[in-house]
Amino acid sequence: MTQPLIELAGITKVLKGQEEPRTILGGVDLTVHPGESVAIVGRSGSGKSTLLSVIGLFDRADEGSYLLAGQDISRLPERRAAKLRSSHFGFVFQRFFLLKHLTAAQNVSMALVNGQGWLPRRERRARVLEALDQVGIAHLAKNRPARMSGGEQQRVAIARALVRRPQVLLADEPTGALDTETGTVVIDALLSATTRGCGLILVTHDRDHAARMGRTADLVDGVLTERAYA
Amino acid sequence: MRRLSGRFRSSLIIGLQGIRARKLRTLLSMVSLFLGVLAVVVVQAGASLAERALLSDLELTSGIDGTRVGDLPPDNKAVDALFRTVRGRSDAVGTLGVSAIIGEPGVRPVNEGGSPFDQDWGPSSVCSPDGNCEPSNGPKGQAVEVRLTALSADIRPFRPFRPRSGRWLDFSTVPAMAPRLVLNEEAAKGFGRYHVPAEMRVGGASANLTPQFVGVVDDGDSQPRAYVRLDELTNWLPTVNLASPGANSELRVYLAPSSPVEKVLAARIKGTGTEIYFSTVESRKDQEKQLALMRLVFLSMAGLVLLIGVAGILNVGLATVGERVEEFALRRAVGTPRSLLAGIVLAETLLTGLLTAAAAIGVSAAALKVVSSLFGGSEPLLRDVQFPWEAGVAGIIAGIVAGILGGFIPALRAAGIPIATVMRA
Repeated sequence: MTQPLIELAGITKVLKGQEEPRTILGGVDLTVHPGESVAIVGRSGSGKSTLLSVIGLFDRADEGSYLLAGQDISRLPERRAAKLRSSHFGFVFQRFFLLKHLTAAQNVSMALVNGQGWLPRRERRARVLEALDQVGIAHLAKNRPARMSGGEQQRVAIARALVRRPQVLLADEPTGALDTETGTVVIDALLSATTRGCGLILVTHDRDHAARMGRTADLVDGVLTERAYA
Repeated sequence: MRRLSGRFRSSLIIGLQGIRARKLRTLLSMVSLFLGVLAVVVVQAGASLAERALLSDLELTSGIDGTRVGDLPPDNKAVDALFRTVRGRSDAVGTLGVSAIIGEPGVRPVNEGGSPFDQDWGPSSVCSPDGNCEPSNGPKGQAVEVRLTALSADIRPFRPFRPRSGRWLDFSTVPAMAPRLVLNEEAAKGFGRYHVPAEMRVGGASANLTPQFVGVVDDGDSQPRAYVRLDELTNWLPTVNLASPGANSELRVYLAPSSPVEKVLAARIKGTGTEIYFSTVESRKDQEKQLALMRLVFLSMAGLVLLIGVAGILNVGLATVGERVEEFALRRAVGTPRSLLAGIVLAETLLTGLLTAAAAIGVSAAALKVVSSLFGGSEPLLRDVQFPWEAGVAGIIAGIVAGILGGFIPALRAAGIPIATVMRA
């Protein structure tokens, strides 16, 4: 068995600043291997996005340990966290967050021009086109978001997540704003990344999309329970 | 180093993208900043031009800083001691100023008392050797009065006169019997306006002389003056008559800073029973101090105008960051460090400041050219003026400072945007 990409053990997150502190994550354990896809399902407010924030180093757990490729990153300073977000993670959100004044290629390139190392323009362009090609929209490289459909825009967002060749893709309800057919195309694009060894963690409400992942875990009251579909 | 370079380039690329995406907003920021930067450029340009003009005129009239100047009482013994001491030397120049009237004999000059030609100093008086003065007689006629300065050597190493036409006095030749005169601009103006006979009267001269005008210089003096070789004047004016109490004479010596003449001269003058008073020319230094103070006052006022522009940039910057919260959160999500986010905002405001500076410098330089071509003919200060580089530098610094001040708070705010913004959207 290969070394796990992600190993979460006893991750706890308590929402403070309210009259009664509220436990969002109550000791979550999760392991993801390279090339593996995991769906996390649960009701609204169950803590799915908070879990993804902890995994993606947007937020820090109050307790528990977090190993990334065997390295403990439970307590990282922001500067190193930013570096790891750039080098190890790709993010896809429900909203596409494309910058409307930039072309598809420039939007994808945004993940390369982030102050974490410098790529020459020619290499940058090649990487961008490769990422757009992976999601099947290389022909739209010069189009601005306003001239693209919702599905195309989300695929640009996926290309942006893939362009740095991440080890883990984190997708937070990426099909939430799309119709079923387009959603399926987007999930295809995400799953194709796992064939190249990239781990995928998908937060979704959609049982059908969840069923296409290798594993599914339910998050109920801050506790993650894995289950298998028949 | 490589990492810094990457971040610098990244912030420039993204900053330029931001400017291109919000052209109108950038233009409005530039408009709000323009007057401030323009004020700084104009003040600096004006101060530099005024300084150059004032200081260069100052050297013409007072002498180059460091020059030792000695003033002597104009009596015959002192005159004799002075000119004997400085004869043949180039590090010391003795000067004797006397009044001279050039023109028709027996008439009062058109500018009595040697006044500038557009001023009237009133009737002059004639003084007898015993010091009694009476108003001069005779009708006003075709004659011009000048201050005639006789020089023992070339004075230009100490007072760098600007040549205007003709040539300067040649001290290497045999003295001419017809004294060669170099006029200053005011005297040249008088002789251009009044055509007078070439006959010169100097108090105490054995005969009226026939002068030759060989050139015109700018000596920074508003009074009509003429310069002549001392030895050409003494052909006709006995040394004993060079200085007398009634002749309204001035006796002065200019010395190079380390000239050994000073001690010798002081001793000789003391031997004649009089005193010589030396001082060092520091007028440029003094004037620079005053100009620096004035410049500081005006720059402070321009700085206030600039601050209003900075407030404009700050306002636009804060509004822009508020609109781009999701973009900055997303950039953080893809690994952009906080420092780079701040750098992006600062790069945008800095580029805006620099673009504004370029516009202000361009407008100022063009305006100066237009003013110079329109008024240069009548106003010597504006003739052939070049846009001073100091004003360009001041404009660029003002643009950079305004960019940093205006972008600092928006940059901090951009750096503090939480990534979770994209998760909650």
